Amino acid sequence: MDCGTCETAPAIEVIQPKVVDAKLTITEKAIDMLTEAFGDDRSHALLVGVLSGGCSGYMYDLQIVETTDIDCQEVVISGFRVLVPNASSHLLDGIEVDYVDRLMGGGFKINNPNASSSCGCGESFA
Amino acid sequence: MRVFQLDSYVLLLSGKDCLKFIDGLSTNKVEGTCTTVFTKSNAKIIDMVEVIVVGENIAIVGHNQYKEDLLDHLNSRILQQDVSMRDISDFNKVYISFDEYPMSNEITVVQTFRGWILVAPTSQQVESTLTEKEFNQYRVDHLIPHQGFEITPAHHPFNCGLHNLVHEAKGCYIGQEILTRMRSRNKTGKALHRVEGEQEDATTTGNTHSLVIRRI
Repeated sequence: MDCGTCETAPAIEVIQPKVVDAKLTITEKAIDMLTEAFGDDRSHALLVGVLSGGCSGYMYDLQIVETTDIDCQEVVISGFRVLVPNASSHLLDGIEVDYVDRLMGGGFKINNPNASSSCGCGESFA
Repeated sequence: MRVFQLDSYVLLLSGKDCLKFIDGLSTNKVEGTCTTVFTKSNAKIIDMVEVIVVGENIAIVGHNQYKEDLLDHLNSRILQQDVSMRDISDFNKVYISFDEYPMSNEITVVQTFRGWILVAPTSQQVESTLTEKEFNQYRVDHLIPHQGFEITPAHHPFNCGLHNLVHEAKGCYIGQEILTRMRSRNKTGKALHRVEGEQEDATTTGNTHSLVIRRI
């Protein structure tokens, strides 16, 4: 394979979706769980992102991070820093972060008004 | 050496999330060099591709006819992941060899279920020894599906003999729910067969046999 000249091939332009100011809400139950997870430490933030994959094409990506290289916008909700990657902001505007307490499939859940469909496990959407 | 030049594209993916990106969107477990299939939400095929690890980059080799569809599929899903793509098709030619092809520094050789896929710089001479008719005859004799014939957007992987490229235990990907349901209920629908003679519904016709996708 000729990779010596590959660098001269122009990169395929990646679709850059419009960056929107993502408005998020977090339910009381989710706030309680975040309080339990973070304690008094506010140096970390909840990163709510979207990755490719899952049955429906996009998967939610929730992480607790101190810093990130990803270009993000930051919102503060009930004292918690929440980071939303600009590249995914159009998919996350208007979401509600909830916490579902059940034996199977419990944990943080995203209710997304932008999703036209989602898979059975609720982790991915289209 | 039985070699045939394929009508292929070559994309070069860079970035630390490349493998994870391809793995999350295709049917096979992609941990390195392998063959995998990109499917739509209805499990119909977008393209079957060779994934080839080239140093820190990943090359994707697929069928030219489906390049734009695959690019559209991938492009909108990169989002925040560290993945960039280059189209290096103009710098390389792709061949398939039905005999073991010697490794060399210039030509990338990977063994697949179809044969040995060769990716050679355009400056490198590789002799194509098979005509299209001979290539198709070999495929009919050995029940090998090919893009544009059996592997098309009208079919899902089980229809065209790509069961081995649908990993049973990997996580979710687009089309996975349908494929898993079909497999678990043992209802994979039509399948690729080699039958005698010329057939009205043949996907490829050989001298004495044809390939057909049928419920038998």
